[in-house]
Amino acid sequence: MAVAAWIVLASPAAAVALIALAGGRISGRVAGWIASLSALTSFVCSLVVFSLLLGENPDERAGHVSTLFTWLSTGTEGSGSDSVRIGLTVAIDPLSVFMMLVVSGVGFLILAYAVGYMHGDDEERRYHAYKAVFLFSMLLLVQSGNLVLLLAGWGMVGLSSYLLINYWHHRYQAVAAGKKAFVMNAVGDATFALAVFILIQETGSTDFGPVFGSAPGAIAQGSTMAVLVGLGLLGGAIAKSAQVPLHTWLPDAMEGPTPVSALIHAATMVTAGVYLIARTHSLFELAPDIQDLAGILGAVTIVMAGLIALVQTDIKRVIAYSTMSQIGYMFVAVGLGAYGAGLFHLMTHAFFKALLFMAAGIVIHALAGEQDIRRMGGLARELPLTYRAFLVGSLALAAIPPFAGFFSKDAILASAANAGTLGWCLWSAGTIGAFLTAIYTFRLVFIVFFGEPSPFVREHLHKERFEGPFAMVWPVSILAVLSIVGGFLQVPGAWSAVDDWIHPVAESAEEASGLTAWLSALAALGASVAGIILASRFYRRPTHRAERLRRRYPLATRAFERKFWWDETYDVVFYAPASGTANGLLRYVERPLFLGTLRGLGTGVRDLARSVAQLQTGLVRAYALALAAGVAVLTVVFVVVH
Amino acid sequence: MSGPGIVAYLVVSILVFSVGALGVLVRRSPLIVLLALEIMLNSGNLALIAFSRRFADGDGQIFALTVMVVAAAEAVVGLGLIVAMSRQKVDLDVDKLTSLRG
Amino acid sequence: MILASFTDDVGNVLVWAIWVGAAFAFIASGIAVISFGDPFYSALALIVNLASLAVLYLLLESEFVAAAQVLVYAGAVIIMFLFVIAYLGGRADTPWVGGPRFQTVGAVLAAGAIAVEVIVVVTLKAADALGSVHPISASFGSPATVGRLFLSDHLLAFEVTSIVLLVAAIGGVVLGRSVPSEQRAEAE
Repeated sequence: MAVAAWIVLASPAAAVALIALAGGRISGRVAGWIASLSALTSFVCSLVVFSLLLGENPDERAGHVSTLFTWLSTGTEGSGSDSVRIGLTVAIDPLSVFMMLVVSGVGFLILAYAVGYMHGDDEERRYHAYKAVFLFSMLLLVQSGNLVLLLAGWGMVGLSSYLLINYWHHRYQAVAAGKKAFVMNAVGDATFALAVFILIQETGSTDFGPVFGSAPGAIAQGSTMAVLVGLGLLGGAIAKSAQVPLHTWLPDAMEGPTPVSALIHAATMVTAGVYLIARTHSLFELAPDIQDLAGILGAVTIVMAGLIALVQTDIKRVIAYSTMSQIGYMFVAVGLGAYGAGLFHLMTHAFFKALLFMAAGIVIHALAGEQDIRRMGGLARELPLTYRAFLVGSLALAAIPPFAGFFSKDAILASAANAGTLGWCLWSAGTIGAFLTAIYTFRLVFIVFFGEPSPFVREHLHKERFEGPFAMVWPVSILAVLSIVGGFLQVPGAWSAVDDWIHPVAESAEEASGLTAWLSALAALGASVAGIILASRFYRRPTHRAERLRRRYPLATRAFERKFWWDETYDVVFYAPASGTANGLLRYVERPLFLGTLRGLGTGVRDLARSVAQLQTGLVRAYALALAAGVAVLTVVFVVVH
Repeated sequence: MSGPGIVAYLVVSILVFSVGALGVLVRRSPLIVLLALEIMLNSGNLALIAFSRRFADGDGQIFALTVMVVAAAEAVVGLGLIVAMSRQKVDLDVDKLTSLRG
Repeated sequence: MILASFTDDVGNVLVWAIWVGAAFAFIASGIAVISFGDPFYSALALIVNLASLAVLYLLLESEFVAAAQVLVYAGAVIIMFLFVIAYLGGRADTPWVGGPRFQTVGAVLAAGAIAVEVIVVVTLKAADALGSVHPISASFGSPATVGRLFLSDHLLAFEVTSIVLLVAAIGGVVLGRSVPSEQRAEAE
């Protein structure tokens, strides 16, 4: 089992090495196949580990670790309280296997899709290599057995995200977006690292077993230390998962190619925050206020992102805000302690969000790179298969049964309903969110696919045999199927496969049952259906209803369009003072002090030399006079000395 | 020894030496400078001979003769230079020869 | 030993008188050399200078050196000077002084300082050491003594001075040669 787990991790790394070393000798397509194949290998080995773990007793499933070697060790030899040993450790337990399956499975599909999408690009090989790097980092993150290695994987996914966002590095918007993403992630990395430091100090270890075991004893519940640790971990999670207030990087990250958006900014990297909270849940339980804060932030994000998505005009940005919103649901879940529900939604969301991105990618590809939905229309007639795939994804997103999203969202709402006052507040936010989700999702469907083909579409559409390259079509089909059937993994009230699977690692909170559960499910469903109806009334046929609504509520419209002025606030609070300080230092300290000194040194020496050169008159008599004067002086000196 | 002591000869020698130095430093004609130079050398010879007499050592006279040879050689070369200068129509003025300026 | 026999006859006074005369002539002609505007007169003053110096040498019992002085200097070097002055003709005249004022002032000060310093040292400090005079032998300044010294103790100096004379002769010839016809054509 350990061998299979290591192969999962090593396979993408080997792909990177292979692509990098092969260099120009292989074509872009081949590089893509190498990367996809490595992802497939990881998936297969994950299945192997999964099946082996299934064979064991549920109680024994947690706690397998496999250490390759001690990577870092500090302090004195032996296991005294001063020494900390950090090994290259891989954890094999239900939680990590779950994540491995999702990451490698969806990753394989998206990597294969990218072979078709990126075909013909100038630097295709670089793309596939970076994708493999990302896959390796993400697997390292979910498989690591200690906090430091997790942090390493955490940082590396941030790096891959940066590299892939500004893949088209000659576009300055892409470069700016990459920088923004990296800096915001760095803030989260810093808080995460601080939390790790505190844990090392309090528990003397970073391996999951010892840390989670001894933490309740070492840190009192509700104490300052616990709150600091919780805040640090939460900071990292919300930066990586683009929750309020560290969310502004995600929409800009859509500058990267569509498969990047699908893989990193929908299915996997942004879910790392959820994974982190689930993994370190025992630490969060020591600081319950922080856990509640996570839920609250998630709820705020659900509503805010939903509102902003109502007015977006870029097809990818709508889906990006929808991602932000859905991850808010996951945060609500783990904030309430419903780890199974949160991870279940993570999985289904990976399916239908990747599906949506990839279908959108086919549309963008067919329209030669156009992403503005105002120019699109009537594509259902031109690209029927793509339309159906998009529809499946949208229905799943809007949580309509029997599609996958219904079951997972319902599980979260049921847990919220069972959690007291705070739970009901979060439940309301979640239901409002479902309403908004339906509206903006179907707004997108109606505008892009319904009606007559727009003039732009008539001019620029170019179709291939399967509406897109075959490499792009088959992963989409598989994901569509998964979006339909994936939900049946956990049906609230009937069976809860995910909860039970995760149970040895993270005990999930109780869900509501009986009447409360049914009412909650009906309310959510009603909200979604109402949203779809509203969207169809506004957008199904070209009307001016939307325009009139905009004019009636200009302030609200402006708030949504300006994304609630978050970017502007950050500009004023952080960027302006920083750049002002930097410029001031440059002008008043660096230039006068350093350059001025250097230049002054040069001119000073030159002036000194010029004044000394005045002695050299060229007059022989003057030189002779100098000689005579010297002799006169020396005579006196000799006499006096003797 | 009859006549004044060695000290008197030395005093005379140094007086004429300083007169010669003054001449070298003050006059502008290279010819006069050379003449003043000869005076300096001769006064130096006088001091040598005086000391040779004081210590009854013949080496001083040898030294003085050698100095005389060198002075003669130097006068030859110096005068040759002056002749070449005048042939090239260079002004015979020490102050005008300033190529070493700067 | 000429002087010794001389003094026996006429006494110390005469020696003193000759000494004063020769010293005075030496100093006065030195001043004259640097004072004249016309280099011809300066050269003539130099002849007087050299002659008085020869007398002083005789007073110091160095006959050979005195004779060499008259022969070499007054006989050869001065003639050389006079030839050049005659060749230069009017071009040899230059203004007396001129140039930067600090030059003149500084020159006077420097020369005066040297003179004063050495006189002070010699008369005050070293007077005791210089007071006594070693006795000399009869053949002190004779050509025989000088010759013997040249060829035994100071053989190297003897040979080197001959080389110096050779170099000076070559230098004189090189400096004095006329410009070859090609260079003259270039200059024109």
